[in-house]
Amino acid sequence: MTHNLENHVEGIASKPRNPDQLRQEIKSRIGKLQAAANHGLWALALFIAISTCALGDFSFFPSLPDEFQAMLGKPPSFNMISGALVLYSFSAIILILSRMMGGSGEGSPFPHVLYLAAFYGFYHFAKGLDENFWAVFAAGITVLGLESYRIWTYCNDEIRKEQERLVELERKRAFWSDDESR
Amino acid sequence: MPKSFSARAIVPVALAITGFVVVCCLLLYSVMKRDMTRDAVQHATNLADTIVKSTRYAMLKSDRETVGNIIRNIGDQQGVEHVRIFNKKGLVMFSAASDELNHFVDKKAEGCIGCHSGPEPITTLGKMDQARQFKNEKGRKVLAITAPVYNEPACYTAPCHIHNASQKVLGTLDIGLSQEPLQKTLITMGERMTVFTLMILALTIGGVAALLRRSVFVPLALLKSYAAELRHGNLETPPPPCEGELKEVAGTLQHMSKELRESRSRRE
Repeated sequence: MTHNLENHVEGIASKPRNPDQLRQEIKSRIGKLQAAANHGLWALALFIAISTCALGDFSFFPSLPDEFQAMLGKPPSFNMISGALVLYSFSAIILILSRMMGGSGEGSPFPHVLYLAAFYGFYHFAKGLDENFWAVFAAGITVLGLESYRIWTYCNDEIRKEQERLVELERKRAFWSDDESR
Repeated sequence: MPKSFSARAIVPVALAITGFVVVCCLLLYSVMKRDMTRDAVQHATNLADTIVKSTRYAMLKSDRETVGNIIRNIGDQQGVEHVRIFNKKGLVMFSAASDELNHFVDKKAEGCIGCHSGPEPITTLGKMDQARQFKNEKGRKVLAITAPVYNEPACYTAPCHIHNASQKVLGTLDIGLSQEPLQKTLITMGERMTVFTLMILALTIGGVAALLRRSVFVPLALLKSYAAELRHGNLETPPPPCEGELKEVAGTLQHMSKELRESRSRRE
C-alpha cells in the first residue's frame, strides 16, 4: 500500500518534469496518502464486524456439513490455539514497533484481520469461543490499533512533507514568474 | 495526530504493553478456569463413583430402604443440590427430594439430551462428557454428573433380580453439586489478576514514562526554552545542563549564537 506509494514517488523523482506536472503528482500523492491513512480504521471496522458475528458464536451462518467437518479433522487443543495467539500477538506487536521505529510505510492491516478471524474460527471449531472471545478481541484491538496508529502517523508525516514540497514549488514558481514579468 | 514528542513516544508503548498483558491475562484466566472446572468434574465423578460403590451391596440385596437412606443423607450435605437414581426407563427410584420419587425424568432436559439425542442412547461416556453445567430451578449454578449403574454378572445371576444379561445399563445416578464455591474462587482469582495486571501496567508504563521524561523530555524542554531565548536575542543565556546527543545540540546552538554575536559586533 504505502510501499507502492514510496516506489511511485521514487519513480517520479527520476523523471524530468515541468512544475505543473510535479504539482499534480504531489497532489495525487497527497490524495493517496490521505486514503491510505484511513486503511487502519477500515481494518478495525472490519474486525469489529467479524467480532460481532463471533460474539454470537457465528450463529448467523449455517453450520458446516458433517462430512466437511470430518474432512477438516480434529480441531487443535485450546492450549495450542492460545499459545499460537500469544505468539502471534507478540510477533505482530514487535513487527509493528520495529516498522514504527524504522519509519517504514510497508505493510497493510488487512492480513491481520484475516489472521484474527482465523483464530475466531479455530476457537469456534474447538468449541471454546465463548471462553476465549475476549482474548482474541483484545489481541485484535491491540494489533490493529497499533498498526492503524503507525500507518496514520506515517501517512501524516508524509503528507506534511509533500505539503512542504508543494509550498516550496509554489514559492519557486512565484519567484520565476516575478522574474519573467520584470 | 499527536504533535508533542511525549505523546508520540508514550502512546504506542502504552498500547502495546497494555494490549499484550491483557491478552495474556485473559488467556491465563481461561486456562485456569478450564483446569479448575476439570478438577471439579473429577471431584464430582469420584463422588458419584463412591455413591455407586456404596449403594452396590444394598442394590444387590434389593435393600431399597438402605439405598434410599444413603441417597437422602448425601442429599442433605452442604453443596449437594440434587441426587437421584433412576432406572433404564427414566423412572426415579431413589432421590433426596421425596417429590421426585416415582416420576419420570425428562429425557429432553439439559444433561439428558446429550445421550438421548439419537434413536439409541449412548451408554459409555468420558468423564468430561458426563458433566453438565446449568442453573437449577432455584437459580443456582449446578455442576451435575451422571454415572451409569452397569449390569454385572452378580446382578443378573442373583435370584431376587429380574435383569437379563443383555441389559448393559440398569440405571443412572445423577448428582448435582453447587458451583458457588468454584464461582467464588474464579471471581477472587479474576480480581487478583486484574489488580496484578493494573500494577504491572502502572509500573511498566510509569517506569517508561519516568525514564523518558528524565532522559529526554525535560532536557528537550530546557533546550527548547534555550533556543527560544536565543531567538529573542538573549545571546548571553548559558546552555542548559544536558547529556549525550542533546549536549551536542546545545553546544551547536551556543556556537551558532556566539558566531551570530561576533558577526553582529563586526557589523556594528
